[in-house]
Amino acid sequence: MAAVDIPISGAHAADTHDDPDASYLKAGRGIGSWLTTLDHKRIGLMYLTMVCLAFFTGGIFALLIRLELFSRGRTIMDAETYNRFFTLHGAIMVFLFIIPSVPAALGNFFLPIMIGAKDVAFPRLNLFSYYIYLLGAAVALLSIIMGSVDTGWTFYTPYSVQTQNSVISMTLGAFILGFSSILTGLNFLVTVHTMRAPGCTWSRMPLFVWGMYATALIQVLATPVLAITLLLLCAERFFGIGIFDPKLGGDPVLFQHFFWFYSHPAVYIMIVPGMAITSELIATFSRRAIFGQFAIAMSSISLAVLGFLVWGHHLFAAGMSEYATMLFSALTFLVAIPSGVKVFNWTATIYKGSILWASPMLYAMAFIFLFTIGGLTGLFLGTLNVDIHLTDTYFVVAHFHYVMMGGTVIAFVGGLLYWWPKMTGKMHDEVKAKIGFVFVFVGFNTVFIPQFIMGSRGMPRRYYDYLPQYEIFHRISTVGSWILGTGLLITGYTLLEALWRGKRAPRNPWGSAGYEWMTDTPPCLANFHKTPVFTRGPYDYHLATPEELATGWDEVEQDGKKG
Amino acid sequence: MNEPNAATFQLPEQMSTVAPEIDWLYYFIYWLSVVLFVAIVGAMIYFAIKYRERKGHKAEPTGHNLPLEIAWTVAPVFILVFLFHKGFEGYMNLSIAPANSMEIRVNAKQWSWEFVYPNGASSDKLHVPVHKPIKLVMASADVIHSFYAPALRVKRDVVPGMYTTVWFEATHVGKDDIACAEYCGGRSEGPNGTLPYQPSDDPDNPYPPGQMTGHWAMHSMVYVEAQEDFDKFMKSIGDPCESYASQGKACPGTIAAAQGLKLYSTKGCVACHTTTGAKLVGPSWKGIWAHGETTDKGRIVVDENYVRESILDPQAKVVAGYPPTMPTFRGQISDAEIDEIIALIKSLKDEGPAPAQQ
Repeated sequence: MAAVDIPISGAHAADTHDDPDASYLKAGRGIGSWLTTLDHKRIGLMYLTMVCLAFFTGGIFALLIRLELFSRGRTIMDAETYNRFFTLHGAIMVFLFIIPSVPAALGNFFLPIMIGAKDVAFPRLNLFSYYIYLLGAAVALLSIIMGSVDTGWTFYTPYSVQTQNSVISMTLGAFILGFSSILTGLNFLVTVHTMRAPGCTWSRMPLFVWGMYATALIQVLATPVLAITLLLLCAERFFGIGIFDPKLGGDPVLFQHFFWFYSHPAVYIMIVPGMAITSELIATFSRRAIFGQFAIAMSSISLAVLGFLVWGHHLFAAGMSEYATMLFSALTFLVAIPSGVKVFNWTATIYKGSILWASPMLYAMAFIFLFTIGGLTGLFLGTLNVDIHLTDTYFVVAHFHYVMMGGTVIAFVGGLLYWWPKMTGKMHDEVKAKIGFVFVFVGFNTVFIPQFIMGSRGMPRRYYDYLPQYEIFHRISTVGSWILGTGLLITGYTLLEALWRGKRAPRNPWGSAGYEWMTDTPPCLANFHKTPVFTRGPYDYHLATPEELATGWDEVEQDGKKG
Repeated sequence: MNEPNAATFQLPEQMSTVAPEIDWLYYFIYWLSVVLFVAIVGAMIYFAIKYRERKGHKAEPTGHNLPLEIAWTVAPVFILVFLFHKGFEGYMNLSIAPANSMEIRVNAKQWSWEFVYPNGASSDKLHVPVHKPIKLVMASADVIHSFYAPALRVKRDVVPGMYTTVWFEATHVGKDDIACAEYCGGRSEGPNGTLPYQPSDDPDNPYPPGQMTGHWAMHSMVYVEAQEDFDKFMKSIGDPCESYASQGKACPGTIAAAQGLKLYSTKGCVACHTTTGAKLVGPSWKGIWAHGETTDKGRIVVDENYVRESILDPQAKVVAGYPPTMPTFRGQISDAEIDEIIALIKSLKDEGPAPAQQ
């Protein structure tokens, strides 16, 4: 590659004295160079470390909850502890893991590379958002020391106003984390609008970037509402201002409206990135352009818009007027259309492709499998009179885990396996990754299919104990959680093992036509040695040269130029 | 069990008039989902195997198929409109209680249910006569709870500071669990929650009192009984009418309304409202219940929530033609007393006789 370097952002190149052509992992050494880095790739990796830690912690709580539910009566913990653990499981998974998981970790790393930029638009803001995340996480977890929250992650009033537990630190933590989310979203929006490399037109923009763009829109527009809601909740507890507490003339259902006005769009902050990863995986491992690429991009945007209009479907049993209920039910059904469009397009992409059954592709297909179940079970819950029977039961628990975990987490793991070589420069062991996949897939379904059945039979959620007729379903579910946990541990080990034992990864190990595979593995500090000019789309396999799609070592590297 | 209302693998027994249509729709969506799932995932797996990467096989460049894309965007709309329509229709059936419903007050608190029958007696398990529409008027003393009876297919949040209602008509004699479906806290009993908890094998009392209190243990039963068994039950919990009879007094229409009539004087309502239909500063209570009224904020129907709001926040919605001069009674009247005022106004419905003056 030619050595001419035409800076397109210049923002951070001017701030470092590092060689922009060296690997970003080698540019600057020592812990200090990481903690003060403005490189989006390093910030992405630091986020990745934290979100994986959060996932691990939330997962431990999940396993403990499932273990408690293995038998009727007390199994391993008392009721108060159980109430705190399911709250912590939800709050950690939502606020500390799943919302930042794909955007802040993988998005931070790959969004600039995939549009041919050197960095995000505001690298300092990017680092700042990371420290805000750390601060928010610390404040939120402080609540564990201060007696822990037992309200559920939804903090419904007036219970959250009246309970003795440390609701304030958890809500303040979520409040602070919101700023991190907003800043990341803002950064992505500006980056996508202003920093695309020549040739990276809107119609050529990778679907992962489209997904991040749609997500960023929601983050910027919806998160402030959560911030206001949580602040009002704190004010209610501190000063008794009487907005939500009926004893002071407040309206407890108003809190639910405020809360879901953010938290329903947040569902799309969580799932749209998962869909975005899946689009990349399906294209790469089918060796074929995504069918209906434009439709998939637009469906991400329409999910982002529709996501704002359906919060009321969380309140069908809570007491709204019949007109509001009717409207929210109708709008909720509309969500099925863009979701369906995506699934149909992915399936059509596999048709007449050339499918490589690599571990990331297994996760992509598992995403379609599980997300389809998650989406179809949404039809039950959107249908008003059926929802009345099912809402607040385990059916709902199973439904949103199929979307959030079967969707986003599965795509996240698939994305990690897919991009691991590019991020770390090391190849993982495919056999172990596939064994891990089998455990994850079987375990996941074993956990949650029994939950659908006990839910439709009438088992309410957030129960420390249950009636005898549900015991068999709880037992199967708990055994499933052990299989799932084992699968995730195997997968985590596979990724970490690659770091010290993995073979060096070539530039493009999967033979993808995507833009991010056109640069070094691992990428140089400036992402590309010179500003790339894209002459084809990221899925145009028929236009890509054999050199671009080659999975082996580039000739320049064999010449020893990279030394 | 081969009865049409027996439990299926996925759904509990059908015990109410609305259950069959809900279950029909449930199974319609279920089989629709099975077909769609098998089609989509089956196609995906079939294609992924058929077009797997191998020597001599190359991916075909992706083309465009606009008609196909439009088809799978538009076709789901028809299914969705159908589901929406059926669901909303069923929801309206769940929402509007028949006019001849028997009203039972439900008081929820952490962590128990109390059911107050029209004669003023109460119980902690709900007894209802079969083949009679029952309307539950529910209120909570502390946090949000949710009344859930799986076999009756009804669920409704019970929210502090307002009344919510739910109705059902049981189709046959039997029993069903009542569960709380909105998380409301809870704890283990004993010092530091150490009391060993033994689940009970009595299906009607699965959580022995004193061992376990909380959201999950807020369990009760609904017993659907033949009319004569229900009448017997009413007697057994002490029909307050009998105590009136023993004192040689006429039994009031409802006890709560008689209490409300006392409050009507002691709280000073009498200064501005009559029970006879005559207009004073405020509207008369005679015949106002369940009536549509025009207020300065638009049309309303006089129901539990409107009366409650008008007592606590009188200027929120003022009936047209009356001055906004009523003072608030917030802090001077308890929730139970509001219930009694409501019972009084209900008893002053046009068709119903007024409670006996004492």
